[in-house]
Amino acid sequence: MTWVRDAARIAKRELRGGLAGFRIFLACLALGVAAIAAVGSVRVSITEGLQREGRTILGGDAEVQFEYRFADAEERAILASVFTGVSEIVDFRSMVATGDGLEAERALTQVKAVDQTYPLVGQVELDPPIPLSEALAGDRLVIHPILADRLGLSVGDPLWLGAKRFEIGALILREPDVSAQGFGLGPRTMVRTAALDGTGLLAPGSLFDTEYRLTLPEGTTDETLDAARAVIEPELEGTTARWRDRRNASPQIERFVDRIGSFLVLVGLAGLAVGGVGVSAAVRAYLDRKIPVIATLKTLGAEGRTIFAAYLIQIAVLAALGIVIGVVLGTLIPLAAYPFIQAQLPVPVELGLHAAPLAEAALYGALTALLFTLWPLARTERVRAASLFRDASGPIRVLPRIRYIVALAVLAALLVGLSAWLSGIPTLALASAGGIAVALAILIAAAWGVRRLCRRLATTRWARGKPALRTALGSIGGPGGEATAVVLSLGLGLTVLASVGQIDANMRAAIDRDLPQIAPSYFFIDIQPDQIDRFRETVISDPEVTRVDTAPMLGGVVRSLADRSAETYDHWVTRGDRRVSYADAMPAGTRLTAGEWWPSDYDGPPQVSFAQEEADELGLALGDEVTLSILGRDLTATITSFREVDFASGGIGFVMVFDANALRGAPHTWLATVYASPEAEGRILRQVAVDAPNVTAIRVRDAIALVTEALGALAAATSWGAGATLLTGFVVLIGAAAAGERARVFEAAVLKTVGATRSTILSSFALRSALLGAAAGVVAIAGGAIAGWAVMTFVMEAPFTFEPLSAIVIVLGGASATLLAGLAFAWRPLAARPAQVLRGRD
Amino acid sequence: MVLTLRDVSLSLMGNAGPVDILHDITLDVAVKETLGLVGPSGSGKSSLLMLMGGLERATGGSVDALGHDLTAMDEDALARFRREHMGVVFQSFHLIPTMTALENVATPLELAGARDAFDRAAAELDAVGLGHRTDHYPSQMSGGEQQRVALARAAAPRPDILLADEPTGNLDAATGGQIMDLLFGLRDRHGATLILVTHSRELAERCDRTIRLVDGRLDAGHGDLRVTDAAATGQAHPAVDAAE
Ligand SMILES: Nc1ncnc2c1ncn2[C@@H]1O[C@H](COP(=O)(O)OP(=O)(O)O)[C@@H](O)[C@H]1O
Ligand SMILES: [Mg+2]
Repeated sequence: MTWVRDAARIAKRELRGGLAGFRIFLACLALGVAAIAAVGSVRVSITEGLQREGRTILGGDAEVQFEYRFADAEERAILASVFTGVSEIVDFRSMVATGDGLEAERALTQVKAVDQTYPLVGQVELDPPIPLSEALAGDRLVIHPILADRLGLSVGDPLWLGAKRFEIGALILREPDVSAQGFGLGPRTMVRTAALDGTGLLAPGSLFDTEYRLTLPEGTTDETLDAARAVIEPELEGTTARWRDRRNASPQIERFVDRIGSFLVLVGLAGLAVGGVGVSAAVRAYLDRKIPVIATLKTLGAEGRTIFAAYLIQIAVLAALGIVIGVVLGTLIPLAAYPFIQAQLPVPVELGLHAAPLAEAALYGALTALLFTLWPLARTERVRAASLFRDASGPIRVLPRIRYIVALAVLAALLVGLSAWLSGIPTLALASAGGIAVALAILIAAAWGVRRLCRRLATTRWARGKPALRTALGSIGGPGGEATAVVLSLGLGLTVLASVGQIDANMRAAIDRDLPQIAPSYFFIDIQPDQIDRFRETVISDPEVTRVDTAPMLGGVVRSLADRSAETYDHWVTRGDRRVSYADAMPAGTRLTAGEWWPSDYDGPPQVSFAQEEADELGLALGDEVTLSILGRDLTATITSFREVDFASGGIGFVMVFDANALRGAPHTWLATVYASPEAEGRILRQVAVDAPNVTAIRVRDAIALVTEALGALAAATSWGAGATLLTGFVVLIGAAAAGERARVFEAAVLKTVGATRSTILSSFALRSALLGAAAGVVAIAGGAIAGWAVMTFVMEAPFTFEPLSAIVIVLGGASATLLAGLAFAWRPLAARPAQVLRGRD
Repeated sequence: MVLTLRDVSLSLMGNAGPVDILHDITLDVAVKETLGLVGPSGSGKSSLLMLMGGLERATGGSVDALGHDLTAMDEDALARFRREHMGVVFQSFHLIPTMTALENVATPLELAGARDAFDRAAAELDAVGLGHRTDHYPSQMSGGEQQRVALARAAAPRPDILLADEPTGNLDAATGGQIMDLLFGLRDRHGATLILVTHSRELAERCDRTIRLVDGRLDAGHGDLRVTDAAATGQAHPAVDAAE
């Protein structure tokens, strides 16, 4: 194994030359690793925070939740016999008002009705700082400051909840059990459950859930908790009650953080791929410079493998350095961003050193470095000693040996497989990896095409007589040059950005432009059966109202579908509570796609009409049976028809509509959608509230704003990731410009010698940069459009329209970035006197 | 006079401070004269040639070409002047690697605003025997071929002055001979003044006059090579002379 020692010795000697030629290499690798390490660290920190605070976030060691009902006496007794603390919470959506007349201001709110024992864990912080029991005493309630602001109220002011007048006891600064927060359309109102008497809320059929927070003595082990669960669960069997404990206190937040985190890691990998292009270019340039050294070593008897190993060791040392820098940066960046991250989260987060995500980032970095340097490295074996005497400066242009090509394929597979496995979103990871690979292939082809095109253009009649342009075209299309590296790195960075741009713009367009035109102004929920006729009259009599749709609504939980229990499906229809409706005659506008609607006044065995698309996804057929639990009673119906339901239109849409006879007897409320001009919205809301203060109105505009906001946050996070990718691309760009500086200096000197002025030379350089940048931009737009189309079509199932604005910005951005980098390196070529340059080369 | 140099000196910044390269050079070159520049390696021949071409700026004295004071012109004015009046040939050819032979030759013509730049360039390549290789890049050509392209490029704008810095230095004897014949042919055809740096006594003998540089100064004791002891040059470069 002396060759290994020889290689190490050679490597050591060569490394003494310093890092001058490797700044870009280090920057590319460090940036990519840092981005991934930072995202991973933050994700783990948040997840750990959620775990650590699980008991507080949940508000107890465990929770049992019921939909649309309270636990009965028997169930309460069981809970109380196993747990030391039991607290009952009712959660529902409602309206608060500043009065009870037509003048009153109204606002949507999420009500949390609590008992005397709340909170079992943690403290509610109020303004003024008084105990919760004092703030809720009598007919008082506490509200979130946002709600107070919206209605212009302060502590001590009266506030109507349903049909009852309360007084604001305090404002809520902090609620310990944040997991209870639902969708969050309305800010929080907290009130004693007992005080709800007289509000007219929680009537039969209303939509609400109850949560029983349960505690064991502090310090109870998970085993004891499991034992308690084992006692409770058999008792609750057959009901729709759901168990949750402190170990997964906030699955939504955790899932959300996980998703965004994984997604950003994928974007980070794209950044690493861009960096890889730079790494590859840097190593290639380094090895090209080393050809005389390699040839000399070969003359002195060094074997191919010794030389390969010698340079592999050098690259490995440098890569290790780059990765270490990246990991350190990745640890520091979250610390700097801490206040921003904390502000976005409902739970306290402690940023710490987490080995796993750092190791993951380092691993990605190492694999990428190896993947992108193996090709140029492998070619060193093919350098012949004779090249020293023939043409020492010519670059190596031969294929590496087959075993290295195989190794490359294995490495690539390893990297992709690893990212699919570690990210936890394998489909998306594979799709992204495929996307990056396709993008790289397209970009390589595009770079080749751009060079061919420029070469062709340079020889056309059109370019003649324009020496600046011809020189620019020649330096892109002619032999050698860094055109490929620029198109690849900038192109890939811009492609990621363009994809984000296209997807973001399309989503916004789908929401902003398409929805409001067809969506109703308001959803009204919790309309009692004895209120619905009056409601319809009131609303229809308003001249501004163009359309009113109403439907009865019941809350249920799917228990089985086509003889399979609901848990065996992984679909939103079978998860959680499901609102369903019933109808006798087929509602206007219904389009059946299969089967037949039941006859009017049908009173046979229960039938149900199912939404076509969801039925397809669940694999249902006509004749299959659906079992639904409604208020503790199971209802089994046969699917006799499929319907087209457009959930995106914002109108009334139920996955399941039962025949009227099957459900008419069950307690239910009515849902209404009202289509009206925006000016009439306030008036309608007030009029409805006078007759039916218990009815909750949800403004579609607000709901859409909420979705847009969530999308905006996602888009912002992604833009940051794409920005990091672009930054790497820019580093590569600068590297390419720096690497090309020597060539530019020479070109300028020769051009000056044959009579070119500096302005001619400068415009040639500028044209060259702008052309390259624009080419990268155009390719990026094509790539972004393809990615955007794929995401919109297959993931969002929405139409895709090309968004020209972001495209134009990207082409211009690409061109000006390259221009900037190119011009930054134009000074030396322009300033150098020809004699200095040309003599040095003699 | 085509070129008039008065007390020209040149010092450049080396790694260890300023280095004096040329001292008090005073020299006249007559119209259509062919002047040979000889001297040992490092004596400043190339530097002097660069000064004459305005590719280097004198630190003292004056350089006058065709009645223009080169020391008073800025870079762009010098470039424009070269475009009209000067052609330069280097030892290492110095073609632009990303341009074909034809494009290399056409570039100075284009810069001079010639409408028929490409036709003239093609004719010029024909004249040096490369009419069939117009679309080849420098990397696809031998040294001799590259130097022929460089000759065509220098001669294409019909310059008044041709400057050649050891144009055969990187070529074997036979190829070098061809290049030299071409160079002298061009000179004769266009009636240009030629200033030639060379180590070859044979070439020096083909010049109207030679001057010798030693340590950046004109060698006072050196007259016409044809009448002085040629051994002095021979001793400085025995290898080169022996090869020729
Ligand atoms: N850029 C420079 N800075 C400092 N000294 C230089 C530079 N270029 C050349 N020289 C020195 O100037 C002297 C003359 O060089 P040159 O004109 O090339 O000589 P010749 O062409 O006769 O061989 C040499 O000693 C050389 O080392
Ligand atoms: Mg010289």
